[in-house]
Amino acid sequence: MATSDTTTIIGESILISGSLAGDEDLTVRGRVEGTLTLTRTLVVEPTGQVKAEVQVKNCIIAGVVVGNVTATESVEITKEGRMVGDIAAPRVIIVDGASFRGRIDMGEVDVGPERRVTGATARAAAPSRPTLRPSAPVRAPQKVEKKVEAPPAQPSRPSVPPAPVAMGAVKRKVIVKTKK
Amino acid sequence: MAGIEKASASRSGAHTVIGSTIVIDGEISGDEDLVIQGTVKGRISLKESLYVESSGVIEADIETANVEVSGQVTGNIAASDKVELKADCKVVGDIRSPRILIADGAVFKGNVDMDVKEGKGK
Repeated sequence: MATSDTTTIIGESILISGSLAGDEDLTVRGRVEGTLTLTRTLVVEPTGQVKAEVQVKNCIIAGVVVGNVTATESVEITKEGRMVGDIAAPRVIIVDGASFRGRIDMGEVDVGPERRVTGATARAAAPSRPTLRPSAPVRAPQKVEKKVEAPPAQPSRPSVPPAPVAMGAVKRKVIVKTKK
Repeated sequence: MAGIEKASASRSGAHTVIGSTIVIDGEISGDEDLVIQGTVKGRISLKESLYVESSGVIEADIETANVEVSGQVTGNIAASDKVELKADCKVVGDIRSPRILIADGAVFKGNVDMDVKEGKGK
């Protein structure tokens, strides 16, 4: 009784084909094919196989999922998990040992105000940066004193490299967490 | 012997529970007990028992060994062992099974066929 209140369990020998929708947690130990829509958490256990378009709040994959998963919160592929398909979720966790093939879309990724803003506000942020580039200060230590008043000269250079980095790399960000 | 009421304990042992907010449109098949508290449309075929609890709504043809209905079922039921309609259930459809129990208070509309040709029955 305790488990039946808010959790639905699809047992190992069960096959559901068609559409499945609901407002409660769902644990899949068997097979589900078709579409799966929940407002809560989907857990695919190691024996579970889901071949479906999945739309949930949270998704934890320890079994097999083939199909696209859209989550409003997070998707986690555990070390037993295998997935083929695209993930769209603001948080995506892929643990060491998990296998995954597909695309990940974590939405509009703010590339961090620090980098994006470089173009406009770089000048303000610049003073902290020189530590990353020892070459510049070392060469002209005397100038540093003067720069306190006129920093624009140096920052014009650093503003160039961050731009391409931001364009390409950041769109797909995957958090890889190693399980201990 | 007759009229044995299955305690809810037997249900907690079931592996599969379709919760009350779940809606399934399609086919369910399997080899284990299934408890339905939600809504299922389409078709259900099992080799074990199906329990439709009071919140359960089924619009499907059912093919199982045992069926126990406390909720609503619209569709034909074919059970190889037993069909039990509990008080307060509503069933519309034909039932085919060697054993059929209809409790006082149950609402049922449809045909009943207990003439099963299996040589296995007593």
